[in-house]
Amino acid sequence: MIVAVLMLLPFLAALAMWLLRGRLCRSILIPAALIQAVLAARLLGCGEVMLQLGGVKFGSTAGDIGKWVLMITSVLFVLVSLQLPAWLTADGKAGKVRHGETGMPGYLLATLVLVFVGTMNLTALARDFGMLWVAVEATTLASAPLINFHRSKSSLEAMWKYLLLCSLGIGLALFGTMLLSAGLPAGAALDFDAVTAVDPQWFKAAFIFCFAGYGLKTGLAPFHSWLPDAHSEAPAPVSALLSGSLLNCALIGLLRIRDAAPEKLLGFCNGFFICFGMLSLVIAACFIIKQKDFKRMLAYSSVEHMGLIALMFGFMLPEAAKIHMLFHSMCKMMLFLIAGNLVLAYGVRRVDAVRGAFSRFKRNGKLWLPGVLLLCGVVPSPLFFTEWALVQRAGLLTGGIVLLLLLVIFCAMSDIVLKMSMGDADEPELPEIDAAAEKLTVIPALTMVLVMGSGLWFCAQVFLSLIN
Amino acid sequence: MNSWVVMIPVVLLLSCLLLAVSSRMLHLIRMVALQGVLLGILPLVISGSIEFSHWQAAAVNLAVKGVLLPYLLLRAMKKAQIQRELEPLIGYSFSAVVVLIFSGVGFWIATQLPGLPQQGTLIAAAAFTALLTGLFIVAARKKALTQVIGFLIFENGITLFGLGLMRHHSMIVELGILLDVFVLVFIMGITVCQINREFSHIDADKLRSLGDADENQEEKA
Repeated sequence: MIVAVLMLLPFLAALAMWLLRGRLCRSILIPAALIQAVLAARLLGCGEVMLQLGGVKFGSTAGDIGKWVLMITSVLFVLVSLQLPAWLTADGKAGKVRHGETGMPGYLLATLVLVFVGTMNLTALARDFGMLWVAVEATTLASAPLINFHRSKSSLEAMWKYLLLCSLGIGLALFGTMLLSAGLPAGAALDFDAVTAVDPQWFKAAFIFCFAGYGLKTGLAPFHSWLPDAHSEAPAPVSALLSGSLLNCALIGLLRIRDAAPEKLLGFCNGFFICFGMLSLVIAACFIIKQKDFKRMLAYSSVEHMGLIALMFGFMLPEAAKIHMLFHSMCKMMLFLIAGNLVLAYGVRRVDAVRGAFSRFKRNGKLWLPGVLLLCGVVPSPLFFTEWALVQRAGLLTGGIVLLLLLVIFCAMSDIVLKMSMGDADEPELPEIDAAAEKLTVIPALTMVLVMGSGLWFCAQVFLSLIN
Repeated sequence: MNSWVVMIPVVLLLSCLLLAVSSRMLHLIRMVALQGVLLGILPLVISGSIEFSHWQAAAVNLAVKGVLLPYLLLRAMKKAQIQRELEPLIGYSFSAVVVLIFSGVGFWIATQLPGLPQQGTLIAAAAFTALLTGLFIVAARKKALTQVIGFLIFENGITLFGLGLMRHHSMIVELGILLDVFVLVFIMGITVCQINREFSHIDADKLRSLGDADENQEEKA
């Protein structure tokens, strides 16, 4: 029952939103998000819940990664749905003043966001490799039009690259899925529980193709080239969902195929996670240095964190990886929302156009700097503890390299953010839009309190264990 | 019936070759439609059954891949007023050689695969050729519309490989895959028209204002 509601609710809400053309936008979006969050929390507490639908199973088992990602998606969905209507009003105002036009109609954005969330729920709940593929491809289709919200040339370009590259990549994953079915005895289903009987040779081939496909969607280097474009061109609330939720959903694909591995191939699979995780860290570090666009900086930081999470799974630290996924998603959502506010006020995403954000904005400026520090894992960020666990497990050489790269990224990001925060502020050209951007800080501030609170709780735990 | 099982993959192989060498958009779309129709009837030919559920699946496949998708492509072609791919990144005669090499590679891989069912080898070879040709067309052509066609050929190759293995997904998954492909081509068709309007061309290789390296170039210029 829970599963059925979770699968259908966003789609029904989307239908209602579309039919009502944006009247009652808030009163559809927010209750839908809240109901989903409550159900996701209940599902997290349940053991095995299954729903059979025409020979395909949906649901989750105890300790399943799917329902954890569903929980993260739901938390982000609640926070973004609270922000979205107000952001739409402010963005419409700014667009009218600057270009004389607004983006895509607001109700369409809200509808597509709901469909997008629905496809992410399907991804998290699918229990079959075929269905998983269908759901992941559907997330691409639902999110692509969202990137083109502002209908500018560059956003159109980002959308095209996203559509073409992700579809080709996911096509490779479909090919991998076919190879997986070829390695099974005749007539066997592609259920997650049933595929453990797969022939090792076929599994190797299937794993490589699935890793390339779902890895591309996860944004692991070297398949990440679409990610900075898409995440920087999308409107702020959508960037928050893309970076915070969608990447985790794609990661489910990688984990599902790894969990199907025959025992002797587990090391082979983990090797892939470690190699590509490391490469993502290196690439992210290279591109964050001297980054000229602050939304692209956040996008590359997503590549970095996906790399870290892949490393954690590769080194068999699933609990740390889960915690890292949750808090990375929350931090990234908060930062993309604040970055969206800065874009509203300044009208550009160039780092050198933003000066003295600290003094010009009472709230946004003061959230931006600590937010980035939290993302970089400065105590009391919960990310510090997960990264610590990773470095400890990874051994001297790998751990040392990870630490070094984290330090480089920390320095590069603080440099950019300090440049934006310090200095004398320009006079705002549009004071009313500055004021609107200031009003949009409630949700980011709330998120920061949540993240910091959890971080302090972790600190207290470590402190207590030291005393005893 | 058996000769058909040989015929269809051979025709698909030939269609890949033709797709690689033709510049007329209309011709490309017709070829993709032909591939769709052949893919639609292939499962019937393989199983040789007259069961209702098989006919149902074949009918849905035919309707989507043979009729609906080509129709969407044709509409995008007319709206964007694009007739030909005039200056491909890789010339047509060289493309033909590349596709021939691909088919050689395809046959080699197909013979290496263990445990393929009878007739599966030929189908798998055609599938690999289509898959590689699709990827090649996406990379070697400039027009956004041709890239969509390349994606469809790629997808046809994957479907063909699935058919060659003679493993069936459940009906919902099959329909889901078809729906995804349909929606994808639908969105891409609209996007092609938008690109045409915004940029007054649909050359995807000129879409490069984004990116990290290019920003620096712009500054230097």
